[in-house]
Amino acid sequence: MNIALIGNPNSGKTTLYNELTGAKQSVGNWPGVTVEKKVGKLKSKNIDANIVDLPGIYSLSTISLEEEVSSNYIMDKEMDLIINIVDASSLERNLFLTYQLLDSDIPIIVALNGMDIIDKNKEVIDHKALSIALDLPVIPISASKKIGIEDLISAIESFDLSKKRKQISYNKQIEEVISLINEYIEDRFLSIRFFEDGLVALDHASVPEEKQPELIELYHSIKGRFTLDIDMIMPDARYNKIINLIDKFYNKNDLLKITTTDKIDKVLTHKYLGIPIFLGIMFGVFFLAFGPLGTFITVQFVWLIDQFFILIINGIAQLGMSPYISSLITKGIFGGLAAVVGFLPQLMILFLAMAILEDSGYMSRAAFIMDRALRKFGLSGKSFIPMLIGFGCSVPAISATRTLDKDEDRKITAMIIPFVSCGAKAPIYGVFAGALFSNGSYIVVFSMYIIGIMVAILSAILFKKTIFKSASANYIMELPQYRRPTLKNTWLHTWERSKDFLIKAGTILLAAFIIIWFLSYFGIVGGKITLLSDDEISKSFLGYIGKIILPVFRPIGFNDWRATVAILSGFVAKESVVGTLGILYGVSGDVVENGSALYPSIRAAFTPLQAYSFMLFALLAIPCIAAVSALKRELNSNKWFYFTLAYELVVAYLIAMAVFQVGSLDSGTILTILFTAIIVVFVFFMIKKFIKQKGSACASCDEFGSCSLPQKIKYLDKKGENTNEE
Amino acid sequence: MTLQDINPGEYCIVKKIRGNNLRKRIIDMGLITGTKVYVKKTAPLGDPVEIIVRGYSLTLRKAEARTIQVERVDK
Repeated sequence: MNIALIGNPNSGKTTLYNELTGAKQSVGNWPGVTVEKKVGKLKSKNIDANIVDLPGIYSLSTISLEEEVSSNYIMDKEMDLIINIVDASSLERNLFLTYQLLDSDIPIIVALNGMDIIDKNKEVIDHKALSIALDLPVIPISASKKIGIEDLISAIESFDLSKKRKQISYNKQIEEVISLINEYIEDRFLSIRFFEDGLVALDHASVPEEKQPELIELYHSIKGRFTLDIDMIMPDARYNKIINLIDKFYNKNDLLKITTTDKIDKVLTHKYLGIPIFLGIMFGVFFLAFGPLGTFITVQFVWLIDQFFILIINGIAQLGMSPYISSLITKGIFGGLAAVVGFLPQLMILFLAMAILEDSGYMSRAAFIMDRALRKFGLSGKSFIPMLIGFGCSVPAISATRTLDKDEDRKITAMIIPFVSCGAKAPIYGVFAGALFSNGSYIVVFSMYIIGIMVAILSAILFKKTIFKSASANYIMELPQYRRPTLKNTWLHTWERSKDFLIKAGTILLAAFIIIWFLSYFGIVGGKITLLSDDEISKSFLGYIGKIILPVFRPIGFNDWRATVAILSGFVAKESVVGTLGILYGVSGDVVENGSALYPSIRAAFTPLQAYSFMLFALLAIPCIAAVSALKRELNSNKWFYFTLAYELVVAYLIAMAVFQVGSLDSGTILTILFTAIIVVFVFFMIKKFIKQKGSACASCDEFGSCSLPQKIKYLDKKGENTNEE
Repeated sequence: MTLQDINPGEYCIVKKIRGNNLRKRIIDMGLITGTKVYVKKTAPLGDPVEIIVRGYSLTLRKAEARTIQVERVDK
């Protein structure tokens, strides 16, 4: 049996899914956490059922791809039973979706979530009467407090799938129209969908093509029958029914005037304090991870890891295995792993902070605060969420672009996310900044993040001005109530992302390290492939590759083939850049001094300027393989995919080159260039002033929504024009 | 008069929604002819605007708020 979990975004769906299946999905407190559908087994001894967790939707009329996943699943009736999770704290809006579902003949159980809060506020919802009125089981639960889960499971077990539910009937006028449409579509549910959405609903119905013009004709003739706009008729009818229900069964506590959320928002989204607080929180997170505390924990952790590995390596040395194997284990595997795992503490601090922001509901406020600023770049406040996740890892961030409403916004956001400095790039900055910029190390690290954001934003503007001219991101978003992040959820979030990092380190990266170990410890000596010792690494295969392509990298400041090789390994996974450097400088397994064994080698091989250029290139060039594959999936087009990769490589090269070349000049030359640049910019703007610029082509869009209607409702275009008349 | 003209702290009633990208979504989120709306605040940069409708908090941009014709009412 297939059971689908359907509900509004942020209604507690994923938490309920975890309780019903025992799975450990992390949950966020912002709309759009469930990007793809997930399937798990129902925890039940009596029946065998799959629970499908689908992206949250407000309505079956969708505006994003992600919502379409859920909506299509329902319209194609791919489930045997729906568990409709309804958030009791905003009952009116949640029941709207319920009423859309009730038009179908799919069996439904309503799980009324958040009943603990209703009780706490001394309110009463008569769920039994609601159950009789809707003719379906209504189970009061609290997914986060684990109340009523057993009741829900037993309601599922004892549900009679063969029983027909009482049909929801509308007023005479509406019923007439439905039956007229039904003559073509022959399915009441889809007929109502057609009435509401127009042609989109026909994807799910089997109406012969020759009949379709007739049906469209009918649709237009229906419009004249109603005083309300045609797409408002069904919502109006439903909301009226809902208000009736709520009047009868919901005993509200009118004394609750100012909620905790209001009080918190008074400060966090304050007119003047809102943005400083937002920036403060962001800086705080990074200071926590890369400041004194993060560094201290890292140093201790690395020391522990190294002690452990030394123990193992010594053990292996005593076993007397062949030199090939012991070299593989000590230098290839442990050498690389030690360098990577050492950065786990900092990543976990980052992830933990992010999880708290997500779970509490602050992320939605961040989008609300930042929307105006981001819109200038053709992005919506919603794009901010994937970009923020991008600081953790590009892979989930690129997947999360699916929550955006328009194709152009999704593409732009996905294409610029790799510029946002992900957690895996942090070790690179950590090592270089720690070794060469001891006093201002976290300022250097912070500058990397700022440059990443700047390049992302400038690229977005460039894309918007050149390729995606029609992009003007939509924004409509609910602000959920603040929640106290639960220990379990925060931990799940942190752990899931850290686990991703570890698994990547343990699998893809391990493979990468073994390949690099082979390439760096084997070479052709005297016509034969031989195992090399540490000091012969320049004779290795990797050495040859690095030396061959080194000239390409000279303009950006590389004069050591090991830097080239480390960058190459970054395309496999950014985590392995540092690990590779460790192997190439032969420092793995050594006793750690002053926090990191790599510092002396790096001090010897890089000037601060070269290091900075290296960090820039590592930041901006093509992301790791996992992110590249996510990009390919989300862009869903080879053209855009290859364009993105090429664009990122070129941008990284140009910026690193500019920084290195300018940085290498003496101060007099730099001043001359600066002065020239200012003159050029000044002249440019003067010329621009003379040539009068036309206004943005899309300026009229705000008034008439005709120029970029989502494709699906293009059909309703004509009606849109009607409603423009006043 | 549109939703954009209503100051934070004031109430209004939806009259008509003109065509825009998000028209259907705005309707489904509960803004229908006759619905009462409380304008709570604008974001620090002056846009989007936060409204309370049907007991929950919804944020939308002024570009969309402009397309929602309303009538100001007392509480």
